[in-house]
Amino acid sequence: MRDWLVQPFTVPYMQRALLEVLLLGALAGAVGVFVVLRRLAFVGDALTHTVFPGVVIAHLLGQSLLLGALAFGVLTALLLTGLGAHRRVGDDAALAILLTSFFSLGVVLISRTRSFTADLTVFLFGRVLAIDQTDLLQTLAVATVVAIALVALRKELVLRAFDPEGAAAMGYRTGALDLALNLLIALVVVAAVEAVGTILVIALIVVPAAAARLLADRVATMTTLACLLGAAGGWLGLAASYRVSVDHGIRLAAGATIVGVLVGLFLLAAAVAPLRRRLLTADTR
Amino acid sequence: MAADPPRGPGELPPVLVLRQATVAYERDPVVEGVDGEVAAGQSVALIGPNGAGKSTLIKAVLGLVPLTGGTIQVLGRPPQAARRQVAYVPQADTLDAEFPVSAMQVVLMGRYPRVGWVRRPGAADHQAAGRALAQVGLAERASARFGILSGGQRQRVLLARAIAQEPKLLLLDEPFNGVDALSQDLLLTALGRLRADGAAVVMATHDLGLAHLACDEVCLLNRHQIGFGPIGTTLTPELLRATYGGQALQLRGDGVIVARP
Repeated sequence: MRDWLVQPFTVPYMQRALLEVLLLGALAGAVGVFVVLRRLAFVGDALTHTVFPGVVIAHLLGQSLLLGALAFGVLTALLLTGLGAHRRVGDDAALAILLTSFFSLGVVLISRTRSFTADLTVFLFGRVLAIDQTDLLQTLAVATVVAIALVALRKELVLRAFDPEGAAAMGYRTGALDLALNLLIALVVVAAVEAVGTILVIALIVVPAAAARLLADRVATMTTLACLLGAAGGWLGLAASYRVSVDHGIRLAAGATIVGVLVGLFLLAAAVAPLRRRLLTADTR
Repeated sequence: MAADPPRGPGELPPVLVLRQATVAYERDPVVEGVDGEVAAGQSVALIGPNGAGKSTLIKAVLGLVPLTGGTIQVLGRPPQAARRQVAYVPQADTLDAEFPVSAMQVVLMGRYPRVGWVRRPGAADHQAAGRALAQVGLAERASARFGILSGGQRQRVLLARAIAQEPKLLLLDEPFNGVDALSQDLLLTALGRLRADGAAVVMATHDLGLAHLACDEVCLLNRHQIGFGPIGTTLTPELLRATYGGQALQLRGDGVIVARP
């Protein structure tokens, strides 16, 4: 057991990778709770497509990838909130046009570089093993901002998720709350892109929270579980990819292994959930 | 605008005043010409077929939908300014039954505007919520998940949420739909208590029998107002026929049956 869980992390680059995925796992889990409760997976998915050109442009200009992704992430959050507020026929089409045009802009820009395929792979699948101190500090900064915002807005976000009409009747501006949440999702996507890449970010956000949903009757419990599952997925996934790569020479991409572990945890939760339900109803009358 | 009638000494101003209120979506009037008053302690039933504009009118009183004509005043102010004094009770089955929230937490939501941003509900809020739940007979189910409760129990929880807001005006959308007899009784009792404490009540309902039990006035709507007045004189067979059109059947004598609207 120690061989698997502790030994891989005696080297600095693995330690940084571990800290990064623990932070990201917990962060994505917390935000994922609201994404799952409000069925906003499409927002996360849209963001993973639209921050891509931001990352590429920043890379080409030699600027911080985080800032490039952030600029496009904020823009997307604004557009999505605006679209959501004006429900009209053709919203899905407008969204699809937005995603694909942004994404192809990114591909066009990057295809003009020499290291096209290598760069593209990194952007799509991440490079958690190449995380440096700066990346870690950036993730920590984002995690702090998002955590503070979630704690401050928690009860209003839950009310809006549960009963949007009731929230509006009480005087809450649901549009403003939606924008706040979309911005928080954008921040998490942007922070996670470098580590696990744009393709896998959505899994980090949705899967731990979806698993937690199966096992919790309270938002607070669901949030704690989602954070724990997200962090555990990161730890186990990193450890597994290291062990398999080092011991058996099979190259197992760290990001994809993390997602595989998360899906495994979800299936476990799905198996346990009916048992838990039966236990609980046996206790109550 | 017609002048409001002079009031006797000690008579409170009305909680809700509607003067030729009209709501339209893109030039098509959805409901128009609604005119009447609701005093503290009074209860009005909004009666009319589906699509008559009952929900729209409720939204207009909540200030969620703008008026395109006429005025609405809640406690002498425009609806958006009076939200702290107004509570809304939606139909329980419009809410997600899988949502991880307890009955007590739902009732506590009614205290959020009072608690304000960032802070958590305090002891006083928990006590108010507990009292509200007790009033609807659900004190022992406080920690049950909202979704596992029966339809009638969920409707009672939503009424408790409104009670916890300590409103002067209560708006209910079809509160008795699909509700069992016990829950119905408890809802009626709790509503009666709210009225005795001085709240005004407006409820949209299909159920004419319950309208008689719970309300002393009625507003008949079918995209425009057909009548607004005391239930005894306004809920008449001819006005009902005018409201429901072809869906009302005349029985021998004075009886009228309204086919499921």
